[in-house]
Amino acid sequence: MIVRKKLLIRFVLIIILAIAVGLISYPKAVSKIPPVYNALNKLKVNLGLDLQGGIHLEYKADLSQVDSAKADTAMQSVQDVIERRVNAFGVAEPVIYTTRSGTDRKLVVELAGVKDINEAKNLIKETPFLEFKKEGEPDKSKEIPQELLDQLNVQIKASAEAELKKVLAGADFAEEAKAKSEDPGSKDNGGDLDWAKKGMFVPEFDKVLFDPNLKDGEIYPQLVETDFGWHIIKKIEQRGSRDNVEVHGAHILFAKKSNADATGGQPTFVSTGLTGKNLKSAIVDFKSQGLSEPQVALKFDAEGTALFAQITKESVGKRVAIYLDGEIISAPRVNEEIVNGEAVVSGNFTIEEANNLVKRLNEGALPVPISLVSQQSVESSLGQISLEKSLKAGLIGMGLVMIFMILYYRFLGVIASIALLIYAGLMISIFKLSAFTPWSITLTLPGIAGFVLSIGMAVDANILIFERTKEEIRKGRSILSAIDEGFKRAWTSIRDGNASSIITALILIEMGTGFVKGFAVTLVLGVLVSVFTAVNVSKTLLKFLVGDWIQDKLWLIGVKKTSVDNLDNNK
Amino acid sequence: MINIVGRTKYAYAFSIVLTVLSVASLFFWGLKFGIDFTGGTLMEVQFSQNVPMNQEVEENLKDLGLKSMALQTTANKSILIRYASEEDATNQAVVKRLTEKYPDSKQLRVDYINSSVSTELRKNSLLAIFAAIAGIMVYVAWAFRRVSRPVESWKYGAGAVIALAHDILITIGAFAFLGHFKGIEVGVPFIAALLTILGFSVHDTIVVFDRTRENLLRSSSKEQFPEIVNRSLNETLVRSINTSMTVIITLLAIYFYGGESIRDFSLALLIGVGFGTYSSIFIASALLVTFYKMQIKSK
Repeated sequence: MIVRKKLLIRFVLIIILAIAVGLISYPKAVSKIPPVYNALNKLKVNLGLDLQGGIHLEYKADLSQVDSAKADTAMQSVQDVIERRVNAFGVAEPVIYTTRSGTDRKLVVELAGVKDINEAKNLIKETPFLEFKKEGEPDKSKEIPQELLDQLNVQIKASAEAELKKVLAGADFAEEAKAKSEDPGSKDNGGDLDWAKKGMFVPEFDKVLFDPNLKDGEIYPQLVETDFGWHIIKKIEQRGSRDNVEVHGAHILFAKKSNADATGGQPTFVSTGLTGKNLKSAIVDFKSQGLSEPQVALKFDAEGTALFAQITKESVGKRVAIYLDGEIISAPRVNEEIVNGEAVVSGNFTIEEANNLVKRLNEGALPVPISLVSQQSVESSLGQISLEKSLKAGLIGMGLVMIFMILYYRFLGVIASIALLIYAGLMISIFKLSAFTPWSITLTLPGIAGFVLSIGMAVDANILIFERTKEEIRKGRSILSAIDEGFKRAWTSIRDGNASSIITALILIEMGTGFVKGFAVTLVLGVLVSVFTAVNVSKTLLKFLVGDWIQDKLWLIGVKKTSVDNLDNNK
Repeated sequence: MINIVGRTKYAYAFSIVLTVLSVASLFFWGLKFGIDFTGGTLMEVQFSQNVPMNQEVEENLKDLGLKSMALQTTANKSILIRYASEEDATNQAVVKRLTEKYPDSKQLRVDYINSSVSTELRKNSLLAIFAAIAGIMVYVAWAFRRVSRPVESWKYGAGAVIALAHDILITIGAFAFLGHFKGIEVGVPFIAALLTILGFSVHDTIVVFDRTRENLLRSSSKEQFPEIVNRSLNETLVRSINTSMTVIITLLAIYFYGGESIRDFSLALLIGVGFGTYSSIFIASALLVTFYKMQIKSK
C-alpha cells in the first residue's frame, strides 16, 4: 500500500496546488474573506504597453564622435540622464534600458499609461544637447562671384535712382516705402524710423539725416550709399538743440547684394568635440551687480578644460559659438586663451530662462545626440479593448477545447480539462508572481495570443497519452496498466514534439523584438508548464480516481467493448 | 485500415500544384510588407463624431509632402494612415495638423519605424527562419539517430523539413495572394507565425515518425517498410487530427474574438497549422517511403 500512500500524497499536493493557483488567479472567489482577498488582490499581472496604453520609444545614439572604448560609459550616462528626466515628469514605473545590435547602440524608453504621448516625447527630446563650436573657414561654395554681384548692384542702384526721381517729383513717400523698401523694420510704417538721436545710424546715414540744411518734410536729393545699400532719406521733423537734437526720419532702402546673404550672414561654425558630456556644473550668474542680465556660468571637467583651452587658444580674435539642441544661443568673441575651464554663456536670458537652462544642464546634458528610430504608442482605451477581446478569445478557446476533450474522451477528457484548468491557473499565477523575481514577465497582446495558443497545445500531450491508453486497452490490457503504458509510451513523442516548439520559440526570443518576444516567452513557458500539468497532474488524478470500477464501464473512456472483444477473438 | 501510402501520388500532385501556385504568386505579386519591414508610420486616428472622408483627410495632409500615403477606414470610427517617413518630425507635423483640423480626433496608436530599424528586422527575420529550419532538421535527425534501417536517420530529418518547407511556402503564398487582393500586410508577427508553424507542424510529423520507429523495432520480417509506414499512419491518424484540432479551435477563437490587431497573425497560424496537419499525414511519411524506394532502385 506504499504506492497507494504515495499516490495519495501526490493527489493531495495537486489539490493544494489547484486551490492555490485558483485563488491567485481569481481572488474574487474569496471576496467574502477580506484579509485573504486583499492580500491576493494585490498580486497583479504586469500588463504590456499595448494592453494598458503607453508609449515605447527607441532612440539610436550617435556615437560617431565618441571613442569606441567609451561607448559604454556614454550610453550609461545617456540612460542616467533620461531616467532623471522621466522621473522628474512623474511617470509610474518607467522602463529605460540600453540595447545594442551590431555596432548600433539604442536606448529604449517605455512609459506605461501615459495619456499625452506627444508631451512625453517632448519631455525626452527636451533634454539639452550642448555643444561648443569654433569658427570654420567660410563656405566659399555658396558664394556668388564678385562680377555677378557688381552687375546686380549696378541694376539695383539704377532702380534706386529712378525711385528717387519719382518721390522728388511728388509721389507719396510712405506709399512708395511700403511698396519698394527692403528694410523689413520700417517698410510697413511707410519707412518711418521714429525719433532718433545722433549716432544711432551708420555714419553716412547719420550725416544726411542730421544735416542742418535738410529741412523738415524735405527729401535728400541724392541717394545715400551705406553697407546696407542705397537709401532715399526724408527728414520728417526735428526737435531739441545742440547735443539733444532728435530727428524723426524715414527712408526707402534698396538693399545691396552681398555674399553675407548667401551664407545667411553667419560665419560657419565647426564641431570641436567639446559638448555637454564635459560639463561639470552650471550655475546662474549675473553680468552686473544686482540681478540684471543673468548669464550661465559653466565649469568643465578635466578633459573639457583641456579641450576648451585648446579651442580658445586657436580662436583668439575669432568667435566660439555655443549651440543648444542644434541652435546657436551665443557666439562670444575670444580675447585670450582660457585655461581654468570656465565659460560664461550670455544669451539675453531672462532669470527664468537662465534658471531653467541651468537646471536642465545640471540634470545632465546628453553626452551624445540621440534620434528616435522606432515608436509604438497605444492609447489606453485601445489597450483596454485589446485586453478584453483577447481574454474573451482565451476563455472561449479554452471552453471549446474542454468541450471537445470531454465529448471525445469522456472521463479522460474530464481529467484533461481539470489539468487544463490547473494549467491556466498555474500560468496566471506565474505571471503574477514573476513580479517578485528578477524575471518579471510582462503580458502583452501577442503574449496572450501565445497563451491562448498554448491552451490548444497543452492538451496535445493528453491526447497522445489517451490515444495510446485506448490502444493498449483494445489490445486487452487492464485499464490501470493501460494508463501506465499510455503515459510511458507517449512520453517520447511528447518530449520530441515539444522540443521542436521550444527550439523555434527560443529563436524567436533571440530575435528580440517586442511583438515576437512577448509571444515566444509565453509560448515557451506554456509548453514547459503544460508538459508538467498534462503528464504529472493528469497522471496522478487518473491513477487516483480510476479503479476497477471502470473496467465494465469502458464507454466512459470512449472505448467500445466490442472492439476489445474482437481483438481478443482475433488472437 | 486506410491505404494512405498507396495514394501518395495524389497528395504529391496536390502539394506540388499548391507549392507552385504559392511560389508563382510570391514571384508575381510578392508579399505586401508592413512598416516593420519598409520603415514608415502607421497611425490610427479615431473620431468621436463624424469620420471624415478619406479624400478630405488626404487633402488636409497634402502639403506635408507625405510619401506613399494610404488611408483606410476601419470599423471602429477610425482611419488608418500609412506613409513612408524618415524622421519623427514628420509624425509630429501630422499629429499637429490632425489635431488642428479635427479637434475631436485622437491618435489611438502611432507606430513609427525608421528604415535603419526595418532593414535590421528584415535581416533578423530571414536569419530566424533559416535558423529555425536548421535547428529542427538537426533535432529530428538527432531524435531519430537510433533508426538507421532501412532508411537512415537524416532522411527522417529531411522528410520532416521538406514537409515544413511545404507548409510555410503555402502560408507565404496565401499571404501573397491576400496581400494582392485584400491588402493584408506582413510584418514581424507574420514571421513569428511562420516560426510557430515550423515548431508545431513538426510535432505531428514526429508523432508519426515515432510510431514508425517503434513499429520498425517490433515488426516481423514479413512486413515491408511501406506497409509499416502505412500502419503507423493509421494508428496515429486520430491523434494527429485531434492534436491539430484543439490548436485550430483556439486559433479560431483568437481569429473571431481576439480583435483586429492579432487577426492576421492567427490567420497565418490557421493556414500553416492546417497544412501542417495535412503534410504530416500525407507528405512527410510518404517521403520516407519514396526515399526507401529510391534506395532499393539504386541498389
